[in-house]
Amino acid sequence: MPDLDALKAEAKRVLDEGIVEIVIGFKAGDTPLHPQPAFFRSAAEVDQLVYGALCQNNLATYLTRQPKTQKIGMLVRGCENRSINALAFEGQHARENLYLIGIPCEGIIDWRKIVEQTGEEVISVVEQSDNTILVEAMSGYYTLEKASVLHESCARCIHPNPVSADVVIGEPLPEGNPAMAREKVEAFAGLPTQERTAWFRQEAERCIRCYACREACPMCYCEECFVDHITPRWTESGTTPAGMQGWHIVRAFHQTGRCTSCGACERACPMDIKMTYLTEKLNDDMRQKYGFEVGMDPTVPPPFSTVTLDDKSRFVI
Amino acid sequence: MSETPNLVLFQCQWCLFAPADQEWVDTQLPENIHHAKVPCTGRINPLYLLNAVQGGADGVMVSGCLPEQCHFKTGNIAARRQLDEFSDYLDHIGYEQDRIRFLWLDLQDRGIIQKELAAFEAQITALGPARNLATRAAQKAGGANA
Repeated sequence: MPDLDALKAEAKRVLDEGIVEIVIGFKAGDTPLHPQPAFFRSAAEVDQLVYGALCQNNLATYLTRQPKTQKIGMLVRGCENRSINALAFEGQHARENLYLIGIPCEGIIDWRKIVEQTGEEVISVVEQSDNTILVEAMSGYYTLEKASVLHESCARCIHPNPVSADVVIGEPLPEGNPAMAREKVEAFAGLPTQERTAWFRQEAERCIRCYACREACPMCYCEECFVDHITPRWTESGTTPAGMQGWHIVRAFHQTGRCTSCGACERACPMDIKMTYLTEKLNDDMRQKYGFEVGMDPTVPPPFSTVTLDDKSRFVI
Repeated sequence: MSETPNLVLFQCQWCLFAPADQEWVDTQLPENIHHAKVPCTGRINPLYLLNAVQGGADGVMVSGCLPEQCHFKTGNIAARRQLDEFSDYLDHIGYEQDRIRFLWLDLQDRGIIQKELAAFEAQITALGPARNLATRAAQKAGGANA
């Protein structure tokens, strides 16, 4: 856990000195389980800033909704920093207009996993120094292992540290193990086709087409999404099996070589639909086939936006 | 199943340079093969493949020019990365990779398209109809299109 006072002091400093016009961070939300994203425009407002493992949004998603020339300060974890690098490569914001306050991230807690054990009415959540969390709920007090309630994407995170932050507050954490990140993809790919399809249908066909996953994702910034397109209509727009499947297939595919595995899509889903088994597969392919890791080096183009004749050795039989 | 599978052929307009082949594809293609002619393989968006799959195709064939022989220099290579990954990805969720075949055609290859289509049709017939992914409602049933 980074020192909250140090975070506030840094946010106040950059606002006071005019380095940025706005700092994007978190403030306390309506319930203790949901701190909410907040925009701080003056040093006085920064007193409301909070940071903790329950801050579940990927803040980089707000970058494309702000004017491109605005000087923005932002709290960034590893995944947010990589998203920002990918967005900067795509020309969505100039890196020099950003001031990134980095936080080595110990993982985001999946609030659903807490609620499963404590019931809906949670009064307070306190993170303790020994990697446990103390939850006070209407049904009593609970001490939970933090590792047991981490979001799945965070449990297999490879790069928890910010890669290009202007200042990092807190000690760097050890990098994750790529082999562990692969385990789930390989386990799923090893299943028979019928089981994979059954899982896909079961997940995709619970969708209510609210597009919360699209709104939560920093890389989904198209002015007009393919599902909103009318002529031609790429896929059915209602909650029909083909429409729901088409949305899930293409939403994930459009993240190929762009997804940072932050898991914001899954956390945003009101139907608790699993989606990272799709994006993880695509990310893993990009790693295996092209040695590409999203956002690690802002100068390297994603595989789909570049062409080499070396490819012919792989495709020509 | 119906004995003949539904196939879709995406064809780059430059790769069938032999006029007899192009004539055959344009006029004498069997009815179960839906033909989509595109200016270059690079014009084929993965959404086109999804459209074919959701439209009930049991197999999809994409033909293009050999690398380095693309009319637009690199269209075929640029498209291949995406389409190859898309077919791999569809396999991940149940539309078998064998159902999507990429075909490189040399400008000198004559009569090869008919053989390749026949071989592909035999392969898809052996696999049976594609039932894993949902298909769109037909237009007469109130569906969006096709």
